[in-house]
Amino acid sequence: MPRLKLSGVTKAYGATLALRRGDLAVEAGEVHVLIGSNGSGKSTLCKIAAGSVKPDSGEVLVDGKPVVVSGPRGARAAGIGIFYQELSLAARRSVAENICLSDLPLKGGAFVDRDALEDRAARYIGLFSEVSGADFEADAPVDTLRADQRQLVEIMKTLGSEAPILIFDEPTSALDRAQVERFFEILRDLKAEGRAMVFISHRMDEIFAIGDRVTVMRDGETVGTRNISDTSPDEIVGMMVGARETLAAPTTTQPLQAASGDVALSVRGLTGPGFTNIGFDVAAGEIVGFGGLHGQGQSSVLRAIFGAAPRTEGTVSLKGTAVTAATPREAIRRGFAYVSGDRGRDGVISGRPIFENVMPIHYLRDRLIFARPSALRGKAEKALQALHTRFAGLSHSLNSLSGGNQQKVVIARWLIDRPEVLLLDDPTKGIDLSAKADLFALIRTLAEEGMGIVLYSSEDAELLANADRILVFNGGRVTRELKGEERTRFNLYHAAYEAAE
Amino acid sequence: MTELSVPARRRGGLKRIFERFPFLPALIILLVLFALNGIYQPRSVGFVGITGLAKTYLALMLLAVAQTYVVYAGDIDLSAGAIVSLVNVVIVVLMGQWGGDALPVLGAILAGLAVGLACGVLNGIVVAALRLQAIVATFATSIFFTGLALYVLPVAGAPAPALFWRTYGGRLLEIPFVFYVVAVLAVILYLLARTRLATQLLAVGDDAQAAYQSGLPVTAIRIKGYAMCGLFAALAAFCITGDTASGDPLVGGEMTLLSVAAVVLGGSALSGGFGTVVGSVFGALIIGLINSLVYFVGTPSEWQNLVQGLAILVALMAGIMVGRRARR
Repeated sequence: MPRLKLSGVTKAYGATLALRRGDLAVEAGEVHVLIGSNGSGKSTLCKIAAGSVKPDSGEVLVDGKPVVVSGPRGARAAGIGIFYQELSLAARRSVAENICLSDLPLKGGAFVDRDALEDRAARYIGLFSEVSGADFEADAPVDTLRADQRQLVEIMKTLGSEAPILIFDEPTSALDRAQVERFFEILRDLKAEGRAMVFISHRMDEIFAIGDRVTVMRDGETVGTRNISDTSPDEIVGMMVGARETLAAPTTTQPLQAASGDVALSVRGLTGPGFTNIGFDVAAGEIVGFGGLHGQGQSSVLRAIFGAAPRTEGTVSLKGTAVTAATPREAIRRGFAYVSGDRGRDGVISGRPIFENVMPIHYLRDRLIFARPSALRGKAEKALQALHTRFAGLSHSLNSLSGGNQQKVVIARWLIDRPEVLLLDDPTKGIDLSAKADLFALIRTLAEEGMGIVLYSSEDAELLANADRILVFNGGRVTRELKGEERTRFNLYHAAYEAAE
Repeated sequence: MTELSVPARRRGGLKRIFERFPFLPALIILLVLFALNGIYQPRSVGFVGITGLAKTYLALMLLAVAQTYVVYAGDIDLSAGAIVSLVNVVIVVLMGQWGGDALPVLGAILAGLAVGLACGVLNGIVVAALRLQAIVATFATSIFFTGLALYVLPVAGAPAPALFWRTYGGRLLEIPFVFYVVAVLAVILYLLARTRLATQLLAVGDDAQAAYQSGLPVTAIRIKGYAMCGLFAALAAFCITGDTASGDPLVGGEMTLLSVAAVVLGGSALSGGFGTVVGSVFGALIIGLINSLVYFVGTPSEWQNLVQGLAILVALMAGIMVGRRARR
């Protein structure tokens, strides 16, 4: 009998049908992978199991018995713990408090038992002590941590629930390799204890490394379940895309584009918090990749060029003219574009219509005072269609879209007025394979039209497949440049891991 | 494998101190104002002066504490002052009817606490359970509470029994009574800061959705925050009754926004999730010391409001600047 079973679950948000028919059965002692493109209903299915979303119909069964999961508290009582993709942390509270927040240890009936709290937190912090970073301390407020560290806190918090059923909704998206490996070791221990686990990831290598079975979802429906040992990445991708044409696996290296020779972006001696003496050129029509492990300064450099992060020294010039953009506003006017993978923080205007989310850059570049929605509507639709964005109407709230489609809206805003230089800061974080393919096809087209593009990606396969040159970052410096034939996975790993040797 | 990420940015000593004690900027401003008061009126920093300050501003300190608990959760209570007025007139009228002996006074105090608690719970239900906007909903309840106060005592001036205000203004074992109140308050605040509720309120104010997803009973926690606010507003009403020795249905009105200002001066975030009650107490004292300083430097009466307003603005800016510099 499955430990956790969801059967025929449906959910609609207004006009958008998020979940048409969700089925999932998880056995004790297995890691059950849930995969599907963004908007296929994975997160909704998980949130229904965790009680934070109420299903319109369908059943949730724990140990064969139907349970009414009335809110997150009810789910915990039923023995279900969940890792939220968007994290559920209190930013100003400490690491230890966040780990224990759901169930603060008490003494004297009303007071927090600090000693018990610290002991309990230390247990879970200890699990990751090798990989969490030197500045990761139990009493540090969560908002002083890096993204990967915050994700570790959410993992610790989920583990801290000690629930027999654990759901992990993209727990590894911000983690580096060592952290992922440690996390997988822990999952294997939990598996041996007989816990039932659901694991969502977009990284095929992770799925095959940790999964026992895989359930594929497409367009809000469960397509099927396979044993990992009996299936292949090709079959899984085939199930994900269904009848649509098969995607070219992003492993072939394209020939270096004949860049026009004009330098679009030139950076010299750029120094700031987290990076030192960065220098590189981007030719018009070229895609320059930033590689290396997480948090080696790649994002900070991109943000500094865009005027969104401080820099202390160095020059940035655009088409030969020195530009010192102190604010993003100035950078945008000069012709820079920046797309962040952290769309919640840097991208979307939450709760507002899709239309308003596409337009702000156009307003700024065009210096519009009065906007005529009817005239602008066409521009917005064209930009969204270039990315195959799926949406019901421009006036619908952005929140009605899935994560991947939200990111497409964010990218679409730069397509109305073409920038000279496009800075991509891990733009595909949490985006499904088909959206990724759309995105990279578009980026290549933009490059061919003469745009200079800088791409930082935490996925090595993306960099190898799409960048003409790769600058490998290590400890805030560029330690290696990979061109042409040198762009191999081996060279990339080698340069990225050099410090460890 | 060893850690490969960027060299950790160490949290410096000063920054860490400010993280742990976010009320430090308020304390610095408080000490500066205290020194200035001493320069312009040496007697104001003596024993008698401080007793007077505590007597006059204990009510505002308590109301600032009350406000802090709702602000913790990202809410606000614009009816806090009206609750003070209502409790003030209720206890004065009850003591007038039951007589001014020890037992009736104690009974009236219990009734006052019950009224404050009821007002707080009502606010909590309206804001957290019915999901009305806190700022508008509590503005509405403030009018309602003021209306009740005017019904209980239409005209200001009913006297409080002598036992009540003599105790408040008097001495016990040669030590002014208000100092006992301050000491007990300090202990209560110390204990309350360690309750589960305080942590839960801050977690809700930080990110209500995250708190809900973490399994916290968000609605109940917010209601409890308002209930705490009502209770502390009742305590503030007792102090103001002791200080003025009479009932006045409008006495608390202007204290509402002063309590909000005190919370902000104390370093708490109005958006919720961050702050300390101690800071709010300091904030209330800053407002008190500004008022007395404006008087001591001999500001002409028609300029006093203007100077007070400017001084509070400067104190707010100084607090923010000191805090920002330290956290960098």
